[in-house]
Amino acid sequence: MSASPANLVENQNTQAVGFDQAAEPGVANAVEISNVTVAYRSYKERPTTLKETVIGAIKHRKFRYYETFNALSNVTFNIPKGQVFGIIGSNGAGKSTLLKVIAGVLPPTRGTVKVNGSVDSLIQLGAGFDAELNAIENIYLSGALHKKPRAEIKRRIPEILEFAELEDFATTPIKYYSSGMFARLGFAVAADRNPDVLLVDEVLGVGDERFRKKCEKVFESFLASGNTIVIVSHSLGNLSSMADQIGLLSRGEFTYIGDPATAIERYRAQDYKTRLTQNNS
Amino acid sequence: MTAAALYGNFFYSIYDYREYLKESVFRDLRKKYKRSSLGYLWSMLNPLLMMIILTVVFSSLMKGRVENYSVFLFSALLPWTYFNGTVKSCIGTIRQNAKILDQLPIPKYIFSVSSSFYNFVDLFLAFVPLLLVMLFTGHPIHSTIIIFPLMLIPLFFFSMGLGLLLAVSNVFFEDTAHLTDVLLRAMYFLCPILYNRDMLPPWLVKYVVLNPMFGIIEGIRQLLYFGTLPNLETFLFNLAGSVLVLGLGLYAFNKADDKFVYFI
Ligand SMILES: Nc1ncnc2c1ncn2[C@@H]1O[C@H](COP(=O)(O)OP(=O)(O)OP(=O)(O)O)[C@@H](O)[C@H]1O
Ligand SMILES: [Mg+2]
Repeated sequence: MSASPANLVENQNTQAVGFDQAAEPGVANAVEISNVTVAYRSYKERPTTLKETVIGAIKHRKFRYYETFNALSNVTFNIPKGQVFGIIGSNGAGKSTLLKVIAGVLPPTRGTVKVNGSVDSLIQLGAGFDAELNAIENIYLSGALHKKPRAEIKRRIPEILEFAELEDFATTPIKYYSSGMFARLGFAVAADRNPDVLLVDEVLGVGDERFRKKCEKVFESFLASGNTIVIVSHSLGNLSSMADQIGLLSRGEFTYIGDPATAIERYRAQDYKTRLTQNNS
Repeated sequence: MTAAALYGNFFYSIYDYREYLKESVFRDLRKKYKRSSLGYLWSMLNPLLMMIILTVVFSSLMKGRVENYSVFLFSALLPWTYFNGTVKSCIGTIRQNAKILDQLPIPKYIFSVSSSFYNFVDLFLAFVPLLLVMLFTGHPIHSTIIIFPLMLIPLFFFSMGLGLLLAVSNVFFEDTAHLTDVLLRAMYFLCPILYNRDMLPPWLVKYVVLNPMFGIIEGIRQLLYFGTLPNLETFLFNLAGSVLVLGLGLYAFNKADDKFVYFI
């Protein structure tokens, strides 16, 4: 798909209509997003205590403290199964928001999200970890959070530790880990769950070069088994070599979806333009 | 969502996340006992010391009115300590687990359920010193003790319900923990812990019994201390009240569920 912004919308509309028929073998979608809008509330001087809220309500008859703004507006696109889909865009464009919508933790204000199969996030590595516990205890805890029975986790532990190269630190509380070690454990645990759709948000920066190579290997084997990766990154070089498609997100809307090189080119051009206007003003 | 669906989802989630609940309750226990050399003994010593202090202070005040004040007190402290601990640990659960909730779609009350189960362990551990005190002071161990587990049902429902309401409130209002402290302190004195129903003026009894916790604590004391059965009507009233409070908690959670992610 190499569409210019103008016919991109058209292109997607036909796709959107054809969702149900699109079930030809080989072109199944891993993720289907249609007309998704996420309205955040930005609070101005919101009272943060019950006391202030009551006072505000009684004294000033003030109940509404927010303005809404759309972090995503009317986003429609599909991610075919087995692809690496990259998402780029400047800070605050809505990339993380989009991943949260796909992960199912942020219900969109409007629109629908459909994920075929299981989905897992590498948004914050080691999110379910407890700093007081050691690696093994944390593997159990995080496995249990994903409803894995203890016996099954137990079988996987050696492999997870080996991948993370933390065998020697397996019984050290993870609060004594370096941030790279922490990230390695987080990655190893998540990769081991082998979800159908893996969401990655800017997390590969922490590990050292060797570990990053390892992660890429995991991604490769992951893709080889027909799974899908959605990856948000600011390291454009890495992304262009990995991704099958890149979507360029700008202020909550896709301005381009398609060929990685073109997406990056447009992103740079857009960036350049904003900088120009900033300098002039 | 109907009340049945709220309750259905709640109990299904407990079943669905049984592995996590097990794991996190054990984690909390491990963490609690890691640094204290007294280990699990601490859970038993804690209520015992509390009871001794209160007994020393209040038994002389209650002179002649209550026989064996230590067992009288201990039997009521048992459910109170559970309630107090559960409610307090529920308050922060959403904020503490924000990172998880930011990327994993799981029922958000599961962390509160975990705190509640964790406090149950303490409740059962505290039974050991209670029995010791009973033996030591020659207090008869009544057969009504076998009804005790039945009283845990309204106790669990009520504590969980209030805990959930406060956990929701805490996401939006930072002073929830302070308000809870005041609330719990007031409830402590409005429940039959230090005293018994007959020692209150009748006009006051009319109001305080509306609090399901009053009847729950009273019922447990009847079973353990007096060896009598709680009145069935009172039991059903408290059960209904507790079911209602948990229903409210679940309703509030469900209502606020979509909004949490914007605030945490
Ligand atoms: N909980 C929230 N409440 C209000 N606004 C929010 C919230 N979370 C994010 N936003 C806003 O939504 C917009 C999109 O945020 P998002 O985190 O998706 O950006 P991003 O593309 O991931 O940026 P970055 O490259 O910096 O990670 C931003 O303007 C941000 O301020
Ligand atoms: Mg982001």
